Amino acid sequence: MAVDFGGIKMRNPINTAAGTFGQGWQFEPFIDVSELGAITTKGCAAEPWPGNPAPRMCEIPGGMMNSVGLQNPGVPAFAEESGPYLAELTDKGTQVICQVAGHSTEEYVRALELFCELCPWAAGFEINVSCPNIAAGGAACGSTPDGAAEVMRACRKVTDKPLIVKMAPVRVAEIARALEAEGADGLSVINSISGMAIDVHTRRSRLSKPTGGMSGPLCHHIAVRMVWEVANAVKIPVNGVGGVMTGEDAAEFILAGATCVSVGMANFVDPTASVRILRELEEWAASQGVSDINELRGAVIC
Amino acid sequence: MPQPSSARLHEFRIVSNDKIADGIFSLVIEAPALAAAIKPGQFMNFEVPGNAMSLLRIPLSYARADAEAGTVEVWYAVVGEGTERLSHMLPGETSTVLGPGGHGWSVPADCSRVLLVGGGIGVPPLVPLAEQLKRDGIAFDVRIGAKTASTCVGVEHFEALGASSVSVATDDGSQGHHGFVTDLVADALAGASYDYVATCGPGVMMEKTAGLALDAGAYCEASLERMMSCGFGACSTCNVETTEGMQGACMCGPVFDASKVVVW
Repeated sequence: MAVDFGGIKMRNPINTAAGTFGQGWQFEPFIDVSELGAITTKGCAAEPWPGNPAPRMCEIPGGMMNSVGLQNPGVPAFAEESGPYLAELTDKGTQVICQVAGHSTEEYVRALELFCELCPWAAGFEINVSCPNIAAGGAACGSTPDGAAEVMRACRKVTDKPLIVKMAPVRVAEIARALEAEGADGLSVINSISGMAIDVHTRRSRLSKPTGGMSGPLCHHIAVRMVWEVANAVKIPVNGVGGVMTGEDAAEFILAGATCVSVGMANFVDPTASVRILRELEEWAASQGVSDINELRGAVIC
Repeated sequence: MPQPSSARLHEFRIVSNDKIADGIFSLVIEAPALAAAIKPGQFMNFEVPGNAMSLLRIPLSYARADAEAGTVEVWYAVVGEGTERLSHMLPGETSTVLGPGGHGWSVPADCSRVLLVGGGIGVPPLVPLAEQLKRDGIAFDVRIGAKTASTCVGVEHFEALGASSVSVATDDGSQGHHGFVTDLVADALAGASYDYVATCGPGVMMEKTAGLALDAGAYCEASLERMMSCGFGACSTCNVETTEGMQGACMCGPVFDASKVVVW
């Protein structure tokens, strides 16, 4: 089941979506986190961010919508609080990918420099140029090939470690090509999809902000299509993200061309979901008669 | 490793699920490990099956726990599609629940008199606190607010637990004082000396109660409600703005030091 995600050697293809898995230790009462191939920690910036006011979440049919706004304690506090646990997790063989947040190219670079200095145990970093819930940075700079490429170019100068880019669900093939050209090692496809929910009785948004990011099963088939487009557009590996609730959902991403798969909202519904999905994916691979999951990557018949 | 939530995943079986007031149900579940672990003010996050389009759990407080019988009793209001679905679950049916989560009530040491203030479906988490106060021999009074008499719960339970006094206020005057429960709180605080005030209910009610309590020199705690995704500290959606920054209701709450709450 081992895969190579842009230089991040994973013992199996199951990863977790940033922002849905805390820093990993929150799940230790429920599962042995070290069974997973990798975890991606919640996005962190150089300085602490307070995030958005309440309400930050509403439930929508087939998923949820959030406007957390990347609340985080800043890289130094993150490293101090969760570093020892994450270093131990790395020793046990689960790769830790730290997600990097920023409002500008300079802020992404500063956060990445701090990560490199304070989190030497990290297997790689995921640059989040696709958060739909912050006024500057995030999707505001990652939704065009030029904007995403600028951040990638600057971050590439900071480290030789694997750099993954979390992509917005727009213009994915052309943005993927631009990121590959700037030296990205892998791509996470997709971040949550911007949406809007209105309470018609109060006429207010159901979130503290007018819009939020939609995630969960409602996004899954959009994400599968985008993973397939990206996998066909670039040579660097893809991490499929979006509404994976079962091993078969994960298998769809692999067949569409993903090297690995992140479990997201399912972690909230069932904290044991990631390990269950790994077992189901193993069963599916066996049912396909292959001894190596890599044989099934991009094996969709169409 | 930082301390994770005390919540664990439990399977439960429904013992009973009955209407106890207008739009309010009492759910009794059999879940022995949960019943033995849960403490007053903590909460649980319920998986309610039956709608593939609705996935998230429903966070609920509890009204009573019986460690010997292995049961937990929840009072919940039907407020949306999820709680409507829960109200149709039958004795014998099974599902899963995550709990116990969060920090409950922290009654100060050397406390001699306590005021409990509940509004609407905010009353239930005060019931196990009353039980604890009775066990510890601490006198307490109860003030309850409800829209109308038919939605008022808890009066007989608090009386049975030995409350020194129980008074009710209703919006329409159908039971007790015609007006806000905070009128009764102001009177109580003026008439007696309290060391501790515990409140749960609508935000405006808790904010007003906390202001009155702090003016009277009593330590006040409030149990807050937020939209919640996971219930164990992973999602950052149940934020409460406090004087110490944004804090998650699931891990830092749901019971907060009222003097530190900025946005109710």
